Amino acid sequence: MTAAVRAELRKLFTTRLWWGMAIAVLLSGAAFAVLFAFVFTSDAVRGPQAAAAPRTDAALAKAVFTGGLQVGYLLTLSIGVLTIGSEYRHQTITATFLAIPRRGRVMAAKVVSLLAVGALYGLLSLAGAVGAGTLVLTSKGVAPFADTSIWRTLALSLLVLGLWALIGLGTGILIPNQVAALLISVAVAWIVEPLLGLVLALTDWGKSISPYLPSRATSAMLESTSGGFDGRPITQLSWWAGALVLIGYAAVMAGLGTWRTLRADIS
Amino acid sequence: MVHGRPEFTGHIEVRGLTKRFGSFTAVDHLDFDVEPGRVTGFLGPNGSGKTTTLRMLLGLVRATDGTATIDGHRYADIGNPLTVVGSALEATNFHPGRTGRNHLRVQAAVAGVPDTRVDELLELVGIPAAARKRAGGYSMGMRQRLGLAAALLGDPRVIILDEPANGLDPEGIRWLRGFLRQLADEGRTLLISSHMLSEVEQTVDDVVIIANGQRVAQGTVAELRGEPTAYVRTSDPDRLSQALRDRGLAVAPSGRGLRVTTEDLAVVGDVAHASDVAIHELRSEQTHLEELFFNLTESEEHRNRNLARPPGGAPVDLPPPSGPPIDPALLAEPAQAAQRAQSAQPSGAPDHDGDLR
Repeated sequence: MTAAVRAELRKLFTTRLWWGMAIAVLLSGAAFAVLFAFVFTSDAVRGPQAAAAPRTDAALAKAVFTGGLQVGYLLTLSIGVLTIGSEYRHQTITATFLAIPRRGRVMAAKVVSLLAVGALYGLLSLAGAVGAGTLVLTSKGVAPFADTSIWRTLALSLLVLGLWALIGLGTGILIPNQVAALLISVAVAWIVEPLLGLVLALTDWGKSISPYLPSRATSAMLESTSGGFDGRPITQLSWWAGALVLIGYAAVMAGLGTWRTLRADIS
Repeated sequence: MVHGRPEFTGHIEVRGLTKRFGSFTAVDHLDFDVEPGRVTGFLGPNGSGKTTTLRMLLGLVRATDGTATIDGHRYADIGNPLTVVGSALEATNFHPGRTGRNHLRVQAAVAGVPDTRVDELLELVGIPAAARKRAGGYSMGMRQRLGLAAALLGDPRVIILDEPANGLDPEGIRWLRGFLRQLADEGRTLLISSHMLSEVEQTVDDVVIIANGQRVAQGTVAELRGEPTAYVRTSDPDRLSQALRDRGLAVAPSGRGLRVTTEDLAVVGDVAHASDVAIHELRSEQTHLEELFFNLTESEEHRNRNLARPPGGAPVDLPPPSGPPIDPALLAEPAQAAQRAQSAQPSGAPDHDGDLR
């Protein structure tokens, strides 16, 4: 099993994809941290219009340090899609299954390696975000590490990226065309699903559903508040419930993908 | 010299192997054996089910029925199979952004093989420098060599290659031939698929020929060739044939000369001299394997199911694509034949009871 995981990691680190993504993750982490740090500490967000803006030092720090994670999880989602999509597209899946005919083991190795890669990118994102964000926040008189719950948020953000990569893995198998899988998954995760969450939150019956959407569960997990259309904070799950929901999505998607892979003829 | 894992001898056994895709039977109750220390050619026209058979043997495609085993084990049940069975299926399955060397390193990680072995193999197949470039720019020949290196990575007993000569230049084919022979001489089992008998004729010891998913012939190359014959043209065929028969040789008229069942041309010459007839031509004649191949695979009951047949049921008179002499009658009205082919409709699989077994 360790050999299988090592092979999966070698696959990722022997193409150019990984370092392009790494740079993007690092930069987006830093850029969003700086942007959010300035915006949330400016006078513009003091009025009643911005009830959802973070007020406490801890909330500010969480919002700033995880600001780039939405871009980050879209990137690891793409990596998840590509990790299986490119195997089918370039038919390297044949070599993969010849080396390890127990396909469940291959899929397990992909899951483990994607979680590891998610954590690695999480570290990069945090390196950018914490580095740049701390500079700005302390210059504004905010103490980002005063509340120890910030460490939990930082740790969970490593998991977030890995879980989104697993959602991508499942998508990459369920939508056999790699390009379509990539476009659909990013479009849904980036635009459709967050909008759906906001729209649902406007209705009475939708209010109880929207916290369970993946992007809402992600915010809950990171304890970053966000506003609805009316500027008021949207109700969300507690951090652990959000984590469980996102783990659930990742497990279902990776599970469906594995189930399909076990049965398919490779030709 | 013992290679690979000693608990495997490398005997491949295929029994009743069948694959149906919906109503289409790609492989139909196939039986054959492949022995260690020999190069076995697995032959058939395009679309005859060769690749599907190999993919079932390698656990990539699930068999509808029957078994394909290596020393009694299904491929999927062999632990670390790369150290028992090495295979190269298509020349195209490399990630274009990954170097050839790194492709092998990925496989090496699974097989538990050190990276030094990767470099040894790249040296062996003759692409040590090129393998450090991304595979997207590789020629077909380089892909074949890289695939071969991948197959050999785990020092396997059994080597399975799908159309390994595709895309190789004549020099490359000659190199491959020597290389495969050497591997077989080391006691390994080699199974080589090809749609061109002429391509592997000089390489293989045994052949398994399939058409429409069914076996039509299995044996050694010598068995398929049959007894060696000599062709002789003379001034007086009647007298010579009588004299040869008196010597106990089988003689049959062949064109303007005689076909004598012997590999010894000197005997024919001596007999002609003794009976005082002039010889105009004398040569040993080998059964043209390519012709045999077409006779087997293109005969009416084995005619390629992928080619259309006219509604009446009689097969379209399409000449074979190359090789043996083409019956002039087939060429008489090519336009008509093409027309008939166009209006033809596919029909179900034909009967098969004339198998050479």
